[in-house]
Amino acid sequence: MSEPESIVTIRHLSKIYAQGDIQVTALDDISLVIAAGEFLTLMGPSGSGKSTLLHIIAGIDRPTSGECLVQGIDVTKLNESQLADWRNQNVGFVFQTFNLIPVLTAFENVELPLLLTRLGHAQRRKLVNTALDIVGLADRSHHLPKQLSGGQEQRVAIARALVTDPKLVVADEPTGNLDSHSAQEVLGILQSLSRQVGKTVIMVTHDPKAAAFGSRSIHLEKGELTN
Amino acid sequence: MNLPGFILRNAFRNKRRLALSVSSVAVSLFLLITLQVALRELTNPINDEGSSLRIIVRNKVSLAQPLPVRQLQVLEKIPGVVAVTPFSFFGGLYKGDEKFTSFAQFAVDPARTLPLLADAKIPKAQLDAWIADRTACIVGQMTADRYGLKLGDRMQFTGQIYPCDLDLKVVGIYHGTADDRNLMFHQAYLDELLGNLGTVGTWWVRASSVAEAPLVTERINQAFANSSAEVRAESERAFVLGFVSMWANIKTLIGGISIVVVFALLLVTVSTMSMAIRERFRELAILKALGFRRRELFAFILAESFGLAMCGALLGAGGAWVMYHYLLNIQKLTNGLFIMFEVTPKMMGLAFSVAALLGVLAAIAPMVTVARTSVVQGLKTLD
Repeated sequence: MSEPESIVTIRHLSKIYAQGDIQVTALDDISLVIAAGEFLTLMGPSGSGKSTLLHIIAGIDRPTSGECLVQGIDVTKLNESQLADWRNQNVGFVFQTFNLIPVLTAFENVELPLLLTRLGHAQRRKLVNTALDIVGLADRSHHLPKQLSGGQEQRVAIARALVTDPKLVVADEPTGNLDSHSAQEVLGILQSLSRQVGKTVIMVTHDPKAAAFGSRSIHLEKGELTN
Repeated sequence: MNLPGFILRNAFRNKRRLALSVSSVAVSLFLLITLQVALRELTNPINDEGSSLRIIVRNKVSLAQPLPVRQLQVLEKIPGVVAVTPFSFFGGLYKGDEKFTSFAQFAVDPARTLPLLADAKIPKAQLDAWIADRTACIVGQMTADRYGLKLGDRMQFTGQIYPCDLDLKVVGIYHGTADDRNLMFHQAYLDELLGNLGTVGTWWVRASSVAEAPLVTERINQAFANSSAEVRAESERAFVLGFVSMWANIKTLIGGISIVVVFALLLVTVSTMSMAIRERFRELAILKALGFRRRELFAFILAESFGLAMCGALLGAGGAWVMYHYLLNIQKLTNGLFIMFEVTPKMMGLAFSVAALLGVLAAIAPMVTVARTSVVQGLKTLD
């Protein structure tokens, strides 16, 4: 049986924050390979560097040193504009606080990343409806975020993350603001994205129960991998 | 949804703040236009053909110095001069006015004045009555309307410049001139009250043509050069402008107020845009994470700021235009102090240019902040 193809390759990645005269090491010489289609959970105590690692992989933060190759592209070498394009085409984001735009309906929130593409109105509509269908919210497409429950809002956020059909979905504590039932639903969706659609999902979580949905779990402590 | 739609949704997110911000821009631009119109009205005398033909001759030393009446014979003989009349500003206080009388009273020679009042529409019988009666006067329609004057009424003036009072009988009411406010009475009556001093305030001269007027002005100045009463002749328009310049520096004053208005407007708009962007900082970070570039975020901010300022300009400048053209009778409201009160295209252009500049300037600070803030910093911002 052949080894699964790697989607993320990290080599000697370090991130040091300078806070006045004090330097804080968030990541210390991390090397890691993530296979395509994997559902990887990043665990560790607060301040261990798991969110920083996720942000660097997703191209919204830059390391102090080291390489981070995603689908063969070293995202640390891209400039701001190239990174923005790359994120739009390759990464779907799910955040703890949902981060939907309050003045837009569920449909429009999901459509947002597609406004940067050259797709026509009809094509966008089809893709948005498909994404909302996947998360089971096709009937709530015209609702504003304030008219949805927390779990529904997070499912809309997942639909927004999926609508551009990215290879990589990153989720930063996606169940942190949800009740256990909604959390199960969201985790179930993320798991099925990995198992059935072949998306690579990287999720930061504190919760061992949430981590159990992943196919692999890694732990960080003081910026270092512990397993 | 499209990007302009998205910008509109954001702009209308806080409707009360939007309404207040647009209103503040509108009120400020309305005030700016009003100041500009008032400044124009005060400093830009009416420039019709009649005023181009008329020349004011005053003492070269100062307007307050009188001119000898013997100059009349010399003036009449100067080539290009069609008519000459004494023209003495009485500056009296009309009975009932406590501090200020808004119309001027001039002592003239009625028979000689007719060619200078070519634009005035007045029945011949009233003109004849004026010429015939030494204590008679004619008044402009605006003044007659303001004070409810009718033929036969008497008007008393307390002298503020001359040591005498006037008791005049209204025998004529004229209209059709550029400024239908003035009152004219006999120089002979004033001379009699003053004890026949043999002087006049100024001379009012009519040139034979617009082309001839500058030459006539030059000839008059030369005619009295090196005499005991040298004169300064100038067109009526130049004279009025010189008169305005004696009101201290009104242009600087109104200009200063206008700058303060614009500066206050800038602060309001910058503050509004900063607030609007600060409360959406997290969302802008999300947009960045989703792939929106800096230039697209800049466009959102600029469009919103520019749109807000232009809406204010439409309401404020447009409102001023409609109000001063159609809704308000400024002549009546200001008791004839302002006559035209016209919003010109240049003023509209100024207001919209100021608004456009404000829109751009107000967007700069939020754009710099957004550019400097990374996605991660933005995501850490509390809602």
